[in-house]
Amino acid sequence: MYKLDFTVLIEFLPAIMDGLRMTMAISALAIIGGTICGVTGALARTSQSRFLRLLSGCYVEWIRNTPLLIQIMFIYFGLGAFLNFPPVLASVVALSFFSGAYITEIIRAGIQAVAKGQREAALSIGMTQRQTLWLVIMPQAIKKILPPLAGQFISLIKDSSLVSTIAVAELSYVGKNIVTTTFRAFEMWLAIALFYFILSFTLSMAVRRLERRLAESD
Amino acid sequence: MINIRKVDKWFGDHQVLKEVSLDVDKGEVVVIIGPSGSGKSTLLRTINGLENIQAGEIVVDNINVHQCEQNCLAARQKTGMVFQQFNLFAHKNVLENITMGPIHVQKKTRTEAEKIARSLLQKVGLPEKEAAYPSRLSGGQQQRVAIARSLAMMPQVMLFDEPTSALDPELIQEVLEVMKNLASEGMTMVVVTHELGFAREVADRIVFIDDGQITENACTEDFFLKPNNERTRQFLSRIL
Repeated sequence: MYKLDFTVLIEFLPAIMDGLRMTMAISALAIIGGTICGVTGALARTSQSRFLRLLSGCYVEWIRNTPLLIQIMFIYFGLGAFLNFPPVLASVVALSFFSGAYITEIIRAGIQAVAKGQREAALSIGMTQRQTLWLVIMPQAIKKILPPLAGQFISLIKDSSLVSTIAVAELSYVGKNIVTTTFRAFEMWLAIALFYFILSFTLSMAVRRLERRLAESD
Repeated sequence: MINIRKVDKWFGDHQVLKEVSLDVDKGEVVVIIGPSGSGKSTLLRTINGLENIQAGEIVVDNINVHQCEQNCLAARQKTGMVFQQFNLFAHKNVLENITMGPIHVQKKTRTEAEKIARSLLQKVGLPEKEAAYPSRLSGGQQQRVAIARSLAMMPQVMLFDEPTSALDPELIQEVLEVMKNLASEGMTMVVVTHELGFAREVADRIVFIDDGQITENACTEDFFLKPNNERTRQFLSRIL
């Protein structure tokens, strides 16, 4: 009969913390990278140029219709055959491209949800296209973008566990290693899940506060 | 001030403007009327380049609007536009709505822009609303702020695209009042409207558009008393 023993957590806490820090670092970098990909993708998707729209469309469809695990494998081992990627960099790149595709669609929808008249009013007082986008459209789109974007960031934190397959020492990888040596599977995986929960839940709370602040003008 | 020469405009294979020519002198108030779908709003929107044109030319204060991007931007600074749906920037309060153009387009300082904005709010009768967001204002108040926003750019011409059509009847007067004051100060105005009472009182000239063509272009008195065109007579008899 399996007897619960949570002391293993205390014993391995430093290692778990290292894993947690790695998960946070990879997620944070991929959130930044994904946002950059997403904004670029959305601008291309809503641009006047047919070529850019097509290019961005291909990017989104390609990423959304292939598994993240395969994308990680492709970037680390596939591209790794030509370039020498450290696994952490490959992880950040894969996660950025992956989330960027979803963020592209979220931002595009947000931009297109801003009333057409807002753009016309901005142009009519002499603003350039660029000023119109950044001073009038984007600030209003942000409000519509924020809830689905937060959901995307939270998925990203959870999906980052997949990079354990290329031996990045993040939370899941550390958990798996501890379980293999201690056989404390129940305690360990419960604890690992709890750490993911704390990360994701904190982020979603922070976003909810931000949303309330932005709702000021409604 | 505005010279429109033989302008053609197509939406796909539907021609909305057919060789339209119209001149508006400095200080003149021209009202454009016509049945819905006749192209009157489209004509107004071509004047500041919100709609492109396929043939002809439009010159505003010596700027050929549709010649290039720079001209279009320059023309927009000389023309204020007021929309049917007000289109106030929803994420900015009243004062910020008005100062945005002067600050970002004309590169005025915030203090300078706010001074202009406050005097314009005085003028449209809303000095106490400067911190309010558009969603807290009535339609009439929003439209008066929208007029102030346009005036903040010190335009040479004001274009009004059915400014009272989206308003409740009891709010129409307060907006027309502001427009009348503007006209009496000598502002050049082109107004697309269904308010014939306003047209009669304020317009110097009335233009009737039907099916993309100007069928009547007469001084206000002649327009109402002895219209030349059969179509105009029909239209007037139906609504007067």
